Amino acid sequence: MALTKKDLEHLAELARIELAPKEEEKLLKDLDAILAHFESLKELDTTNVAPCTGGTMLMNVFREDKERENTNQKAGTENFPEEQDGYLKVPPVFEQVTRNK
Amino acid sequence: MSLVPIKNLTIRDFHDGLLNKDFTALEATENYYTRIREKDPSISAYLSTREEAALREAEQVDLAIAQNEEVPLLAGVPLAVKDNILFKGEITTAASKMLETYTASYDATATAKLKAHKAVFLGKTNLDEFAMGSSTENSAFQITKNPRDPTRVPGGSSGGSAAAVAADMAVAALGSDTGGSICQPAAFCGVVGLKPTYGAVSRSGLIAMASGLDQIGPIAKTVEDAAILFDAIRGKDPLDATSAEPENPEKYQEELLNPDFQKIKKLRVGLPKEYFDVEGLAPEIRNGVERAIEKMKGLGIAVEEISLPHTKYAVPCYYIIVPAEVSSNLARFDGIRYSRQGTRNKEQGTTLKDIYLRTRGEGFGAEPKRRIILGTFVLSSGYYDAYYDKAQRVRALIKRDFEQAFEHVGVILTPLTPTLPFKIGEKVNDPLAMYLEDIFTLPLNLAGLPGLSLPVENRDKGQGTRDKDVTPLSHVPGSMSLPVGFQLIGKPFHEPDILGLGRYYQENS
Repeated sequence: MALTKKDLEHLAELARIELAPKEEEKLLKDLDAILAHFESLKELDTTNVAPCTGGTMLMNVFREDKERENTNQKAGTENFPEEQDGYLKVPPVFEQVTRNK
Repeated sequence: MSLVPIKNLTIRDFHDGLLNKDFTALEATENYYTRIREKDPSISAYLSTREEAALREAEQVDLAIAQNEEVPLLAGVPLAVKDNILFKGEITTAASKMLETYTASYDATATAKLKAHKAVFLGKTNLDEFAMGSSTENSAFQITKNPRDPTRVPGGSSGGSAAAVAADMAVAALGSDTGGSICQPAAFCGVVGLKPTYGAVSRSGLIAMASGLDQIGPIAKTVEDAAILFDAIRGKDPLDATSAEPENPEKYQEELLNPDFQKIKKLRVGLPKEYFDVEGLAPEIRNGVERAIEKMKGLGIAVEEISLPHTKYAVPCYYIIVPAEVSSNLARFDGIRYSRQGTRNKEQGTTLKDIYLRTRGEGFGAEPKRRIILGTFVLSSGYYDAYYDKAQRVRALIKRDFEQAFEHVGVILTPLTPTLPFKIGEKVNDPLAMYLEDIFTLPLNLAGLPGLSLPVENRDKGQGTRDKDVTPLSHVPGSMSLPVGFQLIGKPFHEPDILGLGRYYQENS
């Protein structure tokens, strides 16, 4: 399948990546070639194959249920660009709605 | 100051030299920094060095020796660490602008284990941004050159680590592998690399690319050194629930470090016909791997042809699964956390989303962007079944191929790369051509198996610090100047098989 410019813009929005027009052009071309390469997988009948969901065969890995201290909050907050009371300071999450203009 | 014979210096030789008082750890470390200052301007293997701290680490080792303390095999050994592995207090960039100023707040388990072995850490090495690439050209900061021919790439993504080891700028190094990122650069640079079984080494502190595939492993000059370094970093770690111990840890360790070659010689070696039928397999590679097979036979190893029928589906399978995991793992890099930039100097009315869009657009290079967007696509509603779910089922088929093959053979021998090291710039604008470079290393990663990369021909064991085999050699195609590597693939948690066989090969040729 081929992606349209509109598809790409939607994906970039979902992925929170702003693309320059030139980047879009190159990406569309690259993704077309890559997606065409994926087509070969359709040759395989995988109806009765269970998906392999990861690298490990381990199941139910438990740890001892006891109190432990392993969160060094300060080490984390030291890397924050702006911090207040141990929290990361960020700009408004939602657009500000201007009323009565 | 005594001249430390850093050319082709191995961990074992280093340890003996240290205990015989041929040199001190401090002298050795100083010598490595002299070498780095001389050589690295033309190779660009290191992103950062930490001379003062390293010299202090070396002094501690000398002090322990002076006080007749018993020191571990890795004590004082100058190592390099790939810059996507956390080292507390050091800038850790993953070769991305996103992490340009990020200081690691804890040690990766692998780093912490090597610290406990009193190793000396020279610096952090270059990689493809977030370990995405096969040439180290995707670094946001610099292009690493292949020490065997500086017009060519060192491979990737652990190209900085492989180049540092090949150019004698470190005794050995840590790399990470998701689809060949240890083994392929080791082959391109003519050194040894081990991609361990998934779960053999803790991933805690490795900046995640694809969590279901990533592994940390050693790059070294000899198979024995790779085994020593691997043994120091492996093991179950409470900080990584997918990490595990082999069934019989004591026996396993003994076999890793002291292989029984009589037993190793009885391993049957399988040659998967699909790997030799690949379109575009360079004649130099085919000839090189055939030489390796002949040598194996000469050493009394039985080889037989096997089949891994789903090999050709590994590239599409991998490049669906990995971008999917990438799109999720790299979501944390929002331009605020892990950065110094934050929200200051942002114009009034800027929202969080604006910052995400802009900083991720500016901060990620072309390959991470390509993978994040591709991953977002294959996971998106309506396409999930056709791509991601399908790829996971194909992954199961690829894994089953290996399981069936391992019913007949103990080890699988294959080419490692389809081509010799390619020219810088040759493939960087053609992502699909770059992806196809990984054709021989992706399958074992998808199956979670261990793989060993070793050169067909040994580097000559020279003396002194002369530069003989790290200077550019002939560019004639088919000449012996560029290294050819091959790969030994083992059953899960059977590293002793591939390392033992690799060592037997290397020490008898």
